[in-house]
Amino acid sequence: MPTVLVTGSNRGIGLEFVRQYVAEGWRVIACCRRPDSGTALKVVGGNPRIEGLELADPASIHDLAVRLSGEAIDLLVNNAGVYGPDQTFGKTDYSAFEAVMRSNVLGPLAMVETLLPNLEKGGMKTVVAVSSTWGSIGGNKWGGHYLYGPSKAALNMVVKAQAIDLKDKGITLAAISPGWVRTDMGGEGAPLTAQDSVADMRTRIAELTLADSGSFISHAGGSIPW
Amino acid sequence: MGDSMPTVMVTGANRGIGLEFARQYADAGWTVIATCRNPGRADALKALAGDVTVQAMDVGDPASIRAAKKGIGDAPIDVLINNAGLLGGRDQAFGATDYDTMGEVLRVNVIGPLAVAEAFVGNLEAGKGKRLATVSSRIGSIAENGSGGRYIYRPSKAGVNAVMKSVALDLAGQGILVAILHPGHVQTDMGGPKAPVSPADSVAGMRAVIDGLTPETSGHFFNYDGAVIAW
Repeated sequence: MPTVLVTGSNRGIGLEFVRQYVAEGWRVIACCRRPDSGTALKVVGGNPRIEGLELADPASIHDLAVRLSGEAIDLLVNNAGVYGPDQTFGKTDYSAFEAVMRSNVLGPLAMVETLLPNLEKGGMKTVVAVSSTWGSIGGNKWGGHYLYGPSKAALNMVVKAQAIDLKDKGITLAAISPGWVRTDMGGEGAPLTAQDSVADMRTRIAELTLADSGSFISHAGGSIPW
Repeated sequence: MGDSMPTVMVTGANRGIGLEFARQYADAGWTVIATCRNPGRADALKALAGDVTVQAMDVGDPASIRAAKKGIGDAPIDVLINNAGLLGGRDQAFGATDYDTMGEVLRVNVIGPLAVAEAFVGNLEAGKGKRLATVSSRIGSIAENGSGGRYIYRPSKAGVNAVMKSVALDLAGQGILVAILHPGHVQTDMGGPKAPVSPADSVAGMRAVIDGLTPETSGHFFNYDGAVIAW
Protein backbone atom coordinates (compact mmCIF):
# COMPACT_ATOMS: atom_id res chain seq x y z
CA MET A 1 0.00 0.00 0.00
CA PRO A 2 1.16 3.55 -0.67
CA THR A 3 2.54 5.91 1.93
CA VAL A 4 1.07 9.37 2.52
CA LEU A 5 2.54 12.11 4.67
CA VAL A 6 0.03 14.66 5.97
CA THR A 7 1.03 17.92 7.69
CA GLY A 8 -1.22 19.63 10.22
CA SER A 9 -2.86 16.31 10.89
CA ASN A 10 -4.05 16.80 14.47
CA ARG A 11 -7.38 18.39 13.56
CA GLY A 12 -9.74 19.51 10.82
CA ILE A 13 -8.96 18.58 7.24
CA GLY A 14 -5.56 17.09 8.08
CA LEU A 15 -7.02 14.72 10.67
CA GLU A 16 -9.69 13.67 8.20
CA PHE A 17 -7.05 12.92 5.55
CA VAL A 18 -5.34 10.67 8.10
CA ARG A 19 -8.59 8.90 8.98
CA GLN A 20 -9.57 8.23 5.39
CA TYR A 21 -6.17 7.07 4.16
CA VAL A 22 -5.79 4.84 7.24
CA ALA A 23 -9.25 3.38 6.52
CA GLU A 24 -8.10 2.62 2.97
CA GLY A 25 -5.15 0.71 4.37
CA TRP A 26 -2.46 3.23 3.43
CA ARG A 27 0.67 3.70 5.46
CA VAL A 28 0.18 7.15 7.01
CA ILE A 29 2.78 9.52 8.44
CA ALA A 30 0.80 12.09 10.41
CA CYS A 31 2.72 15.28 11.25
CA CYS A 32 1.71 17.89 13.76
CA ARG A 33 3.40 20.48 15.97
CA ARG A 34 2.99 18.71 19.29
CA PRO A 35 2.63 14.98 18.77
CA ASP A 36 2.16 14.38 22.51
CA SER A 37 -0.99 16.49 22.56
CA GLY A 38 -2.30 15.18 19.24
CA THR A 39 -4.93 13.18 21.09
CA ALA A 40 -7.40 13.03 18.24
CA LEU A 41 -4.69 11.40 16.14
CA LYS A 42 -4.07 8.73 18.76
CA VAL A 43 -7.63 7.47 18.62
CA VAL A 44 -7.49 7.01 14.84
CA GLY A 45 -7.38 3.28 14.24
CA GLY A 46 -4.61 1.66 12.22
CA ASN A 47 -1.81 3.34 14.13
CA PRO A 48 -0.68 6.17 11.89
CA ARG A 49 2.93 7.04 12.53
CA ILE A 50 2.88 10.37 14.37
CA GLU A 51 5.79 12.76 13.81
CA GLY A 52 6.46 16.16 15.33
CA LEU A 53 6.85 18.98 12.79
CA GLU A 54 6.98 22.75 13.12
CA LEU A 55 6.43 23.83 9.51
CA ALA A 56 7.49 27.41 10.16
CA ASP A 57 10.93 26.16 11.20
CA PRO A 58 13.16 24.80 8.39
CA ALA A 59 15.32 23.02 10.99
CA SER A 60 12.28 21.03 12.12
CA ILE A 61 11.61 20.01 8.52
CA HIS A 62 15.24 18.98 8.15
CA ASP A 63 14.99 16.88 11.34
CA LEU A 64 11.90 15.15 9.98
CA ALA A 65 13.74 14.35 6.75
CA VAL A 66 16.56 12.78 8.76
CA ARG A 67 14.04 10.56 10.58
CA LEU A 68 12.44 9.58 7.27
CA SER A 69 15.71 9.06 5.45
CA GLY A 70 15.50 6.32 2.82
CA GLU A 71 11.73 5.87 3.11
CA ALA A 72 9.45 6.23 0.14
CA ILE A 73 6.63 8.78 0.27
CA ASP A 74 4.05 8.35 -2.47
CA LEU A 75 1.88 11.31 -1.63
CA LEU A 76 2.71 14.46 0.32
CA VAL A 77 -0.30 16.44 1.52
CA ASN A 78 0.90 19.93 2.44
CA ASN A 79 -2.17 20.66 4.52
CA ALA A 80 -0.96 22.60 7.55
CA GLY A 81 -1.75 26.28 7.45
CA VAL A 82 -2.90 29.15 9.60
CA TYR A 83 -5.46 31.89 9.01
CA GLY A 84 -4.18 34.64 11.32
CA PRO A 85 -5.94 37.49 13.17
CA ASP A 86 -8.14 40.41 11.96
CA GLN A 87 -7.75 40.86 8.19
CA THR A 88 -9.63 44.13 7.72
CA PHE A 89 -7.79 46.90 5.82
CA GLY A 90 -6.07 49.15 8.36
CA LYS A 91 -5.87 46.52 11.07
CA THR A 92 -3.05 44.31 9.86
CA ASP A 93 -0.77 42.80 12.50
CA TYR A 94 2.48 42.69 10.54
CA SER A 95 4.31 40.16 12.67
CA ALA A 96 1.28 37.87 12.46
CA PHE A 97 1.39 38.33 8.67
CA GLU A 98 5.03 37.19 8.68
CA ALA A 99 4.11 34.13 10.71
CA VAL A 100 1.31 33.25 8.28
CA MET A 101 3.75 33.53 5.38
CA ARG A 102 6.24 31.25 7.10
CA SER A 103 3.65 28.55 7.79
CA ASN A 104 1.66 28.80 4.58
CA VAL A 105 4.37 29.53 2.00
CA LEU A 106 7.87 28.77 3.25
CA GLY A 107 6.77 25.58 5.02
CA PRO A 108 5.19 23.85 2.03
CA LEU A 109 8.07 25.01 -0.21
CA ALA A 110 10.65 23.64 2.21
CA MET A 111 8.76 20.33 2.62
CA VAL A 112 9.07 19.57 -1.09
CA GLU A 113 12.71 20.70 -1.28
CA THR A 114 13.66 18.69 1.78
CA LEU A 115 11.63 15.51 1.15
CA LEU A 116 12.37 15.32 -2.59
CA PRO A 117 14.47 12.12 -2.20
CA ASN A 118 11.54 10.43 -0.43
CA LEU A 119 9.10 11.53 -3.12
CA GLU A 120 11.44 10.26 -5.85
CA LYS A 121 11.43 6.84 -4.19
CA GLY A 122 7.60 6.71 -4.15
CA GLY A 123 5.39 5.32 -6.89
CA MET A 124 2.79 8.08 -7.07
CA LYS A 125 5.24 10.98 -6.91
CA THR A 126 2.44 13.39 -6.04
CA VAL A 127 2.28 16.52 -3.90
CA VAL A 128 -0.89 18.43 -3.13
CA ALA A 129 -0.99 21.74 -1.33
CA VAL A 130 -4.22 22.57 0.44
CA SER A 131 -4.81 26.08 -0.83
CA SER A 132 -7.96 28.21 -0.79
CA THR A 133 -10.26 30.14 -3.07
CA TRP A 134 -9.21 33.19 -0.98
CA GLY A 135 -5.86 32.75 -2.75
CA SER A 136 -7.48 33.23 -6.17
CA ILE A 137 -6.51 36.78 -7.20
CA GLY A 138 -8.74 36.74 -10.27
CA GLY A 139 -11.64 35.37 -8.25
CA ASN A 140 -11.32 37.93 -5.43
CA LYS A 141 -14.51 39.98 -5.36
CA TRP A 142 -14.66 40.62 -1.63
CA GLY A 143 -11.43 42.28 -0.53
CA GLY A 144 -10.01 41.70 2.95
CA HIS A 145 -8.26 38.45 3.93
CA TYR A 146 -4.96 40.33 3.83
CA LEU A 147 -2.85 37.65 5.52
CA TYR A 148 -4.50 34.48 4.33
CA GLY A 149 -5.32 35.35 0.69
CA PRO A 150 -1.84 36.57 -0.31
CA SER A 151 -0.24 33.64 1.52
CA LYS A 152 -2.29 31.22 -0.56
CA ALA A 153 -1.61 33.14 -3.81
CA ALA A 154 2.10 32.92 -3.00
CA LEU A 155 1.69 29.21 -2.20
CA ASN A 156 -0.03 28.69 -5.56
CA MET A 157 2.99 30.31 -7.23
CA VAL A 158 5.33 27.95 -5.39
CA VAL A 159 3.26 24.96 -6.57
CA LYS A 160 3.31 26.21 -10.16
CA ALA A 161 7.08 26.78 -10.10
CA GLN A 162 7.80 23.42 -8.47
CA ALA A 163 5.55 21.66 -11.00
CA ILE A 164 7.72 23.10 -13.78
CA ASP A 165 11.02 22.32 -12.10
CA LEU A 166 10.09 18.76 -11.05
CA LYS A 167 8.30 17.62 -14.20
CA ASP A 168 11.45 15.88 -15.46
CA LYS A 169 11.50 13.82 -12.29
CA GLY A 170 7.91 12.75 -12.91
CA ILE A 171 6.55 14.55 -9.88
CA THR A 172 3.01 15.92 -10.06
CA LEU A 173 2.02 18.92 -7.94
CA ALA A 174 -1.35 20.59 -7.55
CA ALA A 175 -2.91 23.25 -5.38
CA ILE A 176 -6.36 22.23 -4.23
CA SER A 177 -9.17 24.14 -2.57
CA PRO A 178 -11.01 22.11 0.05
CA GLY A 179 -14.13 24.27 -0.21
CA TRP A 180 -15.65 25.97 2.81
CA VAL A 181 -15.38 23.30 5.46
CA ARG A 182 -16.77 22.96 8.98
CA THR A 183 -13.48 23.09 10.91
CA ASP A 184 -11.91 25.35 13.53
CA MET A 185 -10.89 27.60 10.63
CA GLY A 186 -14.07 27.38 8.56
CA GLY A 187 -16.47 27.75 11.47
CA GLU A 188 -19.72 26.00 12.26
CA GLY A 189 -21.68 27.72 9.52
CA ALA A 190 -19.64 26.15 6.74
CA PRO A 191 -21.65 24.04 4.30
CA LEU A 192 -19.18 21.17 3.84
CA THR A 193 -18.15 18.48 6.30
CA ALA A 194 -14.47 17.59 6.53
CA GLN A 195 -15.45 14.01 5.55
CA ASP A 196 -17.03 15.11 2.29
CA SER A 197 -14.33 17.65 1.45
CA VAL A 198 -11.53 15.13 2.02
CA ALA A 199 -13.38 12.38 0.15
CA ASP A 200 -13.68 14.79 -2.78
CA MET A 201 -10.02 15.79 -2.58
CA ARG A 202 -8.91 12.15 -2.46
CA THR A 203 -10.86 11.56 -5.67
CA ARG A 204 -9.17 14.56 -7.29
CA ILE A 205 -5.76 13.38 -6.09
CA ALA A 206 -6.37 9.90 -7.51
CA GLU A 207 -7.26 11.47 -10.87
CA LEU A 208 -4.13 13.67 -11.09
CA THR A 209 -1.68 12.99 -13.87
CA LEU A 210 1.64 14.61 -14.71
CA ALA A 211 -0.21 16.56 -17.42
CA ASP A 212 -2.26 18.26 -14.68
CA SER A 213 0.81 19.28 -12.72
CA GLY A 214 0.87 22.92 -11.71
CA SER A 215 -2.90 23.35 -11.65
CA PHE A 216 -5.18 24.93 -9.05
CA ILE A 217 -8.28 22.77 -8.66
CA SER A 218 -11.42 22.65 -6.61
CA HIS A 219 -12.31 19.71 -4.35
CA ALA A 220 -15.46 19.44 -6.47
CA GLY A 221 -13.45 19.22 -9.69
CA GLY A 222 -12.57 21.88 -12.22
CA SER A 223 -9.89 24.51 -12.12
CA ILE A 224 -9.86 27.75 -10.15
CA PRO A 225 -8.49 30.95 -11.69
CA TRP A 226 -5.16 32.18 -10.38
CA MET B 1 4.65 75.37 -9.37
CA GLY B 2 2.83 76.15 -6.17
CA ASP B 3 -0.08 74.88 -4.17
CA SER B 4 -1.96 73.64 -7.20
CA MET B 5 0.65 71.06 -8.19
CA PRO B 6 -0.03 67.49 -7.06
CA THR B 7 2.08 65.50 -4.63
CA VAL B 8 3.56 62.06 -5.26
CA MET B 9 5.19 59.83 -2.69
CA VAL B 10 7.65 57.22 -4.02
CA THR B 11 9.21 54.47 -1.89
CA GLY B 12 12.65 53.07 -2.69
CA ALA B 13 13.44 56.31 -4.51
CA ASN B 14 17.22 56.30 -4.14
CA ARG B 15 17.94 54.33 -7.30
CA GLY B 16 16.59 52.52 -10.33
CA ILE B 17 12.91 52.83 -11.10
CA GLY B 18 12.11 54.72 -7.89
CA LEU B 19 14.70 57.38 -8.64
CA GLU B 20 13.34 57.73 -12.16
CA PHE B 21 9.78 58.16 -10.83
CA ALA B 22 11.05 60.93 -8.51
CA ARG B 23 12.96 62.58 -11.36
CA GLN B 24 10.05 62.54 -13.84
CA TYR B 25 7.43 63.78 -11.39
CA ALA B 26 9.82 66.50 -10.16
CA ASP B 27 10.51 67.54 -13.76
CA ALA B 28 6.75 67.76 -14.31
CA GLY B 29 6.55 70.21 -11.43
CA TRP B 30 5.03 67.87 -8.84
CA THR B 31 5.87 67.94 -5.17
CA VAL B 32 7.83 64.72 -4.54
CA ILE B 33 8.16 62.92 -1.23
CA ALA B 34 10.94 60.44 -1.93
CA THR B 35 11.56 57.74 0.64
CA CYS B 36 14.51 55.41 1.03
CA ARG B 37 16.16 53.43 3.81
CA ASN B 38 19.25 55.59 4.08
CA PRO B 39 18.94 59.23 2.94
CA GLY B 40 22.60 59.71 3.93
CA ARG B 41 23.60 57.61 0.93
CA ALA B 42 20.94 58.86 -1.52
CA ASP B 43 23.19 61.27 -3.39
CA ALA B 44 21.52 60.86 -6.79
CA LEU B 45 18.12 61.48 -5.23
CA LYS B 46 19.27 64.55 -3.36
CA ALA B 47 20.81 65.94 -6.55
CA LEU B 48 17.43 65.99 -8.35
CA ALA B 49 16.13 69.40 -9.37
CA GLY B 50 12.67 70.44 -8.25
CA ASP B 51 10.47 70.17 -5.19
CA VAL B 52 11.85 66.92 -3.75
CA THR B 53 11.82 66.02 -0.06
CA VAL B 54 13.78 62.98 1.04
CA GLN B 55 12.25 60.99 3.91
CA ALA B 56 13.86 58.01 5.63
CA MET B 57 11.64 54.91 5.55
CA ASP B 58 12.34 51.17 5.55
CA VAL B 59 9.17 49.53 4.23
CA GLY B 60 10.25 46.26 5.85
CA ASP B 61 10.03 47.85 9.30
CA PRO B 62 6.58 48.94 10.56
CA ALA B 63 8.20 51.20 13.19
CA SER B 64 10.09 53.02 10.44
CA ILE B 65 6.85 53.46 8.47
CA ARG B 66 5.16 54.91 11.57
CA ALA B 67 8.06 57.34 12.04
CA ALA B 68 7.85 58.44 8.38
CA LYS B 69 4.10 58.93 8.76
CA LYS B 70 4.80 61.17 11.72
CA GLY B 71 7.26 63.18 9.65
CA ILE B 72 4.88 63.56 6.70
CA GLY B 73 1.80 64.12 8.87
CA ASP B 74 -1.54 64.73 7.18
CA ALA B 75 -0.13 66.27 3.99
CA PRO B 76 -2.36 65.32 1.04
CA ILE B 77 -0.80 62.77 -1.31
CA ASP B 78 -2.26 62.45 -4.79
CA VAL B 79 -0.26 59.48 -6.02
CA LEU B 80 1.47 56.94 -3.77
CA ILE B 81 3.92 54.61 -5.49
CA ASN B 82 4.98 51.47 -3.66
CA ASN B 83 8.20 50.90 -5.54
CA ALA B 84 10.64 49.60 -2.93
CA GLY B 85 11.37 45.91 -3.28
CA LEU B 86 14.03 43.26 -3.02
CA LEU B 87 15.09 40.52 -5.44
CA GLY B 88 16.49 38.18 -2.81
CA GLY B 89 19.69 37.14 -4.53
CA ARG B 90 20.46 35.55 -7.87
CA ASP B 91 20.35 31.88 -6.88
CA GLN B 92 16.69 31.01 -6.46
CA ALA B 93 16.78 27.54 -8.02
CA PHE B 94 14.73 24.63 -6.66
CA GLY B 95 16.45 23.10 -3.67
CA ALA B 96 18.61 26.15 -2.97
CA THR B 97 16.07 28.35 -1.17
CA ASP B 98 17.51 30.51 1.59
CA TYR B 99 14.51 30.64 3.91
CA ASP B 100 15.73 33.60 5.95
CA THR B 101 16.18 35.64 2.79
CA MET B 102 12.75 34.55 1.61
CA GLY B 103 11.23 35.74 4.88
CA GLU B 104 12.89 39.12 4.45
CA VAL B 105 11.77 39.45 0.82
CA LEU B 106 8.18 38.59 1.73
CA ARG B 107 8.32 41.18 4.51
CA VAL B 108 9.58 43.92 2.19
CA ASN B 109 7.75 43.01 -1.03
CA VAL B 110 4.37 41.85 0.32
CA ILE B 111 3.83 43.19 3.82
CA GLY B 112 5.66 46.49 3.20
CA PRO B 113 3.34 47.79 0.47
CA LEU B 114 0.29 46.91 2.57
CA ALA B 115 1.78 48.61 5.62
CA VAL B 116 2.57 51.74 3.57
CA ALA B 117 -0.97 51.77 2.15
CA GLU B 118 -2.47 51.39 5.62
CA ALA B 119 -0.26 54.14 7.06
CA PHE B 120 -0.88 56.69 4.30
CA VAL B 121 -4.47 55.96 3.21
CA GLY B 122 -5.60 59.12 5.04
CA ASN B 123 -3.14 61.20 3.02
CA LEU B 124 -4.48 59.65 -0.20
CA GLU B 125 -8.05 60.42 0.85
CA ALA B 126 -6.99 64.04 1.46
CA GLY B 127 -5.44 64.26 -2.03
CA LYS B 128 -7.25 64.81 -5.31
CA GLY B 129 -5.50 62.14 -7.37
CA LYS B 130 -6.40 59.22 -5.09
CA ARG B 131 -4.09 56.76 -6.82
CA LEU B 132 -2.11 53.94 -5.26
CA ALA B 133 0.37 52.14 -7.49
CA THR B 134 2.57 49.18 -6.67
CA VAL B 135 5.55 48.10 -8.73
CA SER B 136 5.17 44.33 -9.02
CA SER B 137 6.60 42.15 -11.76
CA ARG B 138 5.44 39.91 -14.55
CA ILE B 139 7.64 37.32 -12.86
CA GLY B 140 4.84 37.26 -10.25
CA SER B 141 2.25 36.16 -12.82
CA ILE B 142 1.33 32.59 -11.90
CA ALA B 143 -0.46 32.10 -15.22
CA GLU B 144 2.59 33.20 -17.23
CA ASN B 145 5.13 31.21 -15.24
CA GLY B 146 6.59 28.87 -17.83
CA SER B 147 10.10 28.45 -16.53
CA GLY B 148 9.99 27.73 -12.79
CA GLY B 149 12.71 28.87 -10.43
CA ARG B 150 12.95 32.25 -8.68
CA TYR B 151 11.38 30.76 -5.56
CA ILE B 152 11.83 33.90 -3.48
CA TYR B 153 10.92 36.66 -5.90
CA ARG B 154 7.98 35.03 -7.72
CA PRO B 155 5.82 34.21 -4.67
CA SER B 156 6.54 37.65 -3.21
CA LYS B 157 5.14 39.36 -6.29
CA ALA B 158 2.15 36.99 -6.58
CA GLY B 159 1.54 37.77 -2.90
CA VAL B 160 1.64 41.54 -3.34
CA ASN B 161 -0.64 41.24 -6.37
CA ALA B 162 -3.17 39.50 -4.11
CA VAL B 163 -2.75 42.18 -1.45
CA MET B 164 -3.32 45.01 -3.91
CA LYS B 165 -6.33 43.34 -5.52
CA SER B 166 -7.95 43.31 -2.09
CA VAL B 167 -6.89 46.92 -1.44
CA ALA B 168 -8.52 47.96 -4.74
CA LEU B 169 -11.78 46.35 -3.64
CA ASP B 170 -11.67 47.69 -0.09
CA LEU B 171 -10.78 51.29 -1.04
CA ALA B 172 -13.10 51.60 -4.06
CA GLY B 173 -15.68 53.18 -1.79
CA GLN B 174 -13.25 55.98 -0.92
CA GLY B 175 -12.60 56.60 -4.62
CA ILE B 176 -9.01 55.36 -4.41
CA LEU B 177 -7.76 53.71 -7.60
CA VAL B 178 -5.13 50.98 -7.52
CA ALA B 179 -2.60 49.97 -10.17
CA ILE B 180 -0.41 46.87 -10.03
CA LEU B 181 2.49 47.45 -12.40
CA HIS B 182 5.04 45.47 -14.36
CA PRO B 183 7.84 47.91 -15.18
CA GLY B 184 9.26 45.79 -17.98
CA HIS B 185 12.74 44.33 -17.89
CA VAL B 186 14.53 47.55 -17.00
CA GLN B 187 18.19 48.60 -16.94
CA THR B 188 18.63 48.88 -13.16
CA ASP B 189 20.76 47.23 -10.47
CA MET B 190 18.04 44.54 -10.32
CA GLY B 191 17.40 44.20 -14.06
CA GLY B 192 21.03 44.37 -15.14
CA PRO B 193 22.72 46.60 -17.73
CA LYS B 194 21.62 44.55 -20.76
CA ALA B 195 17.88 44.84 -20.03
CA PRO B 196 15.88 46.02 -23.05
CA VAL B 197 13.88 48.84 -21.41
CA SER B 198 15.32 52.14 -20.17
CA PRO B 199 14.14 53.47 -16.81
CA ALA B 200 12.92 56.61 -18.59
CA ASP B 201 10.60 54.66 -20.94
CA SER B 202 9.40 52.29 -18.23
CA VAL B 203 8.49 55.09 -15.84
CA ALA B 204 6.93 57.26 -18.53
CA GLY B 205 4.71 54.32 -19.43
CA MET B 206 3.78 53.54 -15.83
CA ARG B 207 2.97 57.21 -15.15
CA ALA B 208 0.54 57.11 -18.08
CA VAL B 209 -1.04 53.91 -16.74
CA ILE B 210 -1.45 55.45 -13.27
CA ASP B 211 -2.90 58.61 -14.78
CA GLY B 212 -5.34 56.62 -16.92
CA LEU B 213 -6.79 54.49 -14.11
CA THR B 214 -10.57 54.34 -13.86
CA PRO B 215 -12.88 52.66 -11.35
CA GLU B 216 -13.35 49.89 -13.93
CA THR B 217 -9.63 49.20 -14.30
CA SER B 218 -8.64 49.67 -10.66
CA GLY B 219 -6.94 46.58 -9.28
CA HIS B 220 -5.72 45.32 -12.63
CA PHE B 221 -2.19 44.09 -13.31
CA PHE B 222 -0.69 46.29 -16.04
CA ASN B 223 2.40 46.11 -18.16
CA TYR B 224 4.16 49.48 -18.39
CA ASP B 225 2.67 49.90 -21.88
CA GLY B 226 -0.86 49.56 -20.48
CA ALA B 227 -1.55 45.96 -21.54
CA VAL B 228 -3.27 43.85 -18.87
CA ILE B 229 -1.28 40.87 -17.54
CA ALA B 230 -2.92 37.61 -16.39
CA TRP B 231 -2.65 36.72 -12.68
